[in-house]
Amino acid sequence: MGFQAFLDIAVVALRFLLPVYAVVIIYQCFASMRRHRRPEKPLVTLEEKSTGMQIPVLFWENSIGRSKGSDICVDDPTVSRDHCVLLRRQEGWLVSDIGSKGGTYVNKKKARDRTQVLIDDEITVGSTTFTLKRGDEFQDRIRPSWFFSKASNKGSLQPYKLMLLITFFHLFMTVEACFTNEVQNFEPFTVFLCLEALLWSFFFVSTVILKRVNFELEALASFLTGIGVILLVRQEMRSAYIQLIAAGIGMVLFCSLVKFIENPDRVNSWRMAIMIGAIALLAINIVFGTVQYGAANWIKIGPVTVQPSEFVKIAYIFVGAAALDKLQTKRNFLEFIIFSAICVGALALMGDFGTALIFFATFLLIAFMRSGDFKTVLLALVSVVFAGTIVLKFKPYVADRFAAWGHVWEHAQDTAYQQARVLTYTASGGLSGVGVGNGYLKYVGASESDLVFGLLSEEMGVIVSFAIAFSLVALAFYARAITTRSRSTFYSISACCAAGLMIIQSALNIFGATDILPLTGVTLPFISAGGSSIISCWGLLAFIKAADERTYAAKRLKRHKEND
Amino acid sequence: MKRIMSRSIFVLIVTLAFFAGICLLAFRLLTQNEAWVQQPYNGHVASSNGLAQAGDITDRNGVVLAHTNEKEERVYHEDEDTRKALLHLVGDNSLNISTAVQSMYRGELTGYSFVWGLGLPKSLRTSDAVNLTINADACKAAYQAFGGKDGACVIYNYKTGEILVDVSTPTYDPQNPPEINEKNEDKYDGVYLDNVMSSSYTPGSIFKIITAAAAIENIPDIYQRSFSCTGEYDIDGQKITCENAHGTIDFTTSFAQSCNVAFAQMAVEVGEEKMEETATSMGFNKEFEVSGIKLSKSVYTLENALGDNQIGWSGIGQFEDLANPMHMAIMCGAIANDGTPVTPYFLDDSNELLKNLGITNAKESEQMLSADTAKKVQDLMRATADYYYNARGITMGNLNFCAKTGTAEVGKDKEPNAWFVGYTEDEKHPYAFAVVVEEGGYGIQAATPVAQAAISALVNSEQ
Repeated sequence: MGFQAFLDIAVVALRFLLPVYAVVIIYQCFASMRRHRRPEKPLVTLEEKSTGMQIPVLFWENSIGRSKGSDICVDDPTVSRDHCVLLRRQEGWLVSDIGSKGGTYVNKKKARDRTQVLIDDEITVGSTTFTLKRGDEFQDRIRPSWFFSKASNKGSLQPYKLMLLITFFHLFMTVEACFTNEVQNFEPFTVFLCLEALLWSFFFVSTVILKRVNFELEALASFLTGIGVILLVRQEMRSAYIQLIAAGIGMVLFCSLVKFIENPDRVNSWRMAIMIGAIALLAINIVFGTVQYGAANWIKIGPVTVQPSEFVKIAYIFVGAAALDKLQTKRNFLEFIIFSAICVGALALMGDFGTALIFFATFLLIAFMRSGDFKTVLLALVSVVFAGTIVLKFKPYVADRFAAWGHVWEHAQDTAYQQARVLTYTASGGLSGVGVGNGYLKYVGASESDLVFGLLSEEMGVIVSFAIAFSLVALAFYARAITTRSRSTFYSISACCAAGLMIIQSALNIFGATDILPLTGVTLPFISAGGSSIISCWGLLAFIKAADERTYAAKRLKRHKEND
Repeated sequence: MKRIMSRSIFVLIVTLAFFAGICLLAFRLLTQNEAWVQQPYNGHVASSNGLAQAGDITDRNGVVLAHTNEKEERVYHEDEDTRKALLHLVGDNSLNISTAVQSMYRGELTGYSFVWGLGLPKSLRTSDAVNLTINADACKAAYQAFGGKDGACVIYNYKTGEILVDVSTPTYDPQNPPEINEKNEDKYDGVYLDNVMSSSYTPGSIFKIITAAAAIENIPDIYQRSFSCTGEYDIDGQKITCENAHGTIDFTTSFAQSCNVAFAQMAVEVGEEKMEETATSMGFNKEFEVSGIKLSKSVYTLENALGDNQIGWSGIGQFEDLANPMHMAIMCGAIANDGTPVTPYFLDDSNELLKNLGITNAKESEQMLSADTAKKVQDLMRATADYYYNARGITMGNLNFCAKTGTAEVGKDKEPNAWFVGYTEDEKHPYAFAVVVEEGGYGIQAATPVAQAAISALVNSEQ
């Protein structure tokens, strides 16, 4: 009795340690994100020739025009509303006319495409002329975004320490998984070792080989990915390994994407190819797709099943975002709308309404960020309500889910079987959970993917599951805050929308399983089991990473040294 | 750039909406967690494993009715008939009998709390023991007296409110629960219901107690009246029938001999409004609560009555009348207590469980009858027992008692339901009782043995 009681107390102590620990890790990740930032200073200044007024140039891409919303607003009737764009690339500062009436001139020569501007060069728009000056000459202080209000160059925690914290968290989880009520063995340890080998290799590649200065974003994603993998250990060992392999592929994709989008102009030239590729992928899916859980969104290639729609998400963000001077063209926007319609239509055809909904919501985000037009957004919203009514009419299983919504306890044995169990087991877990592998929700179908929030709550407790939900909220705040310094509107739009997409997906997952919304059957980013899903999450994370100007900073530093 | 950034507020709105949703979920979790956990399919609580840490359940004399042994198995009383008799009060490993203590208070028995969930190792869980006011021996005696028939038997102390006997049949052995399938579902029809609390039956002649009370209050010369019974009587061109012709009888005799003809006339004379008023004041159409269990309502309404004939039938406990056994016992308790009942309970306030949940049993209850009327009804029921039941050899040992039988017609192909309700008049043994035997036949034959067996067991063990 004495020893048993001691053991039990140890188990309980561990269970209460884990939630506190999880909160600390998530806090540390975001604390680090809020630092490491250079002070807010203008990049260059524009001096108006006639008045001598200094205008700070804050962004890498700046619109110049008469309209109030322009980054550099010129109060001159001969200037067009959206006149030209002043942007910074590796080769220096460029100016690009975006269809103004009077034209843009650099040193009195008419600028047609992007034209280089050097320090002390003159840019003329309408009857106003600016001289490009260095940024140091501007003295006034600029207030930084609240997210970075504590900005300093010192990270709150060294990246390797953060990784150690995460490793120990995963270790504790593994220990819990080793000693469940039903089985006691050390099989989970093998998974743990593979997981940590993967995470630390990724850390090594990132910091030593690729020389990235910060690692918080990756650390957070690694933390969540690891939790998802270890949750699978006592469910199905095989899927835990699949999840690990997929996470590895996802990390490779992450690094490649960050590299690929280093130059936003290169991305633009690939845009059409990406669009065609994505549509081809969806077409293959429609033709060869196999039905699983009521939606034909899977392709079987030998032993591997993939969900192409997950990869199309990444392509979708690519096509939606663009650099500021490209953004203004009608053709670019039209292509995006057509592409959206094809994607949503294809998904609806497959019967994957959950993903179709995610695409549509992301479409609204992107469309609004690009056009700023509430009317367009409203119109799109109304049209989707109509489409939704038709779906409800012709797809009885979708209608069933709507009927069960809000009436879980009446339908606990039929249409709301899954939601009822999620609620019951979420409450059964208490604050600290019943321990990894001790849950009962794992016996319910799709508990590791669509219902993973319930599984997480039951086995790890509601503190952990809510902390993870809040970390996704914080991720979206972070994505929005870094865009003030991102090097192109391509990054601002893609980062915000990638974060928005993840939030929408999380909302559908968590609220669907807990009867706040009808059940749609989508995955929870990074946590849910599903190879395609985890790969696509890491892919989406690349957009947020790229939006941070520090991501590419180390390279520039190196190049400067070479030049010396 | 600036414009794009300001438009990213849309992402912020979506994020805040997500945040609000999470808060809503947290709120629901905080307020409804207990209800979410107590589901029959919940693997943490619904198996024997769920009761692995549950405390003992004991009867009033400390007899252990349910207990968890060292192997973490839930074991019930060693005697099979006792187990079967107490199934609906104690419950089994499943949560199928929703009003049983092991279902209603499974969370407390297993040590559920919002903070700890159900994940606490067993050695650290604190679980409450439950002490029932029940007498297990008397319950067993009642169960055996049913002789395999379906029905309900309840006995409670009308002075203190303690429920001593609560037996519902059909039942099964909680130690070896049957697998209920298509073949045997007829045998187990309604087995998960505690008929005492959760069923209502056609009352038949026991309803004459209410009609008598209404007559005493509304017909001033009722004791001077005489009724002539030829075995049938015409109201609105349709018949009210008696078993046999009672001849010319007075009010008291008509009650003792349960004359339908006399009571149908009384009901019609008292009239729709006053009949409903008396029935409602005596607890019909009301919801009673006993130790946290809401009783199935007794029903008396003349909303659908087409004429005097149906009012007549309603006065003798047919038509649309329904009576709940527990309520019938409470009503008899009220008569015995000169009009005001003591609310019964089977979990007294000393149980830690109730203290922890902040539940107290309601001791006070509304008056059902004026003291004067109650005393007159007592006399009627006493006369019935003395002159009528005693003559047929129906006694309660040495105890004086007041009672009324009922034989309620429930359908053409079915035997009638047999009723027996009343109370003992004894300082040491003040018991109000109600027995119903489904398709038992005559109340006086089928229902009285159950009450007799239970009360004699009570008297034996409560010396």
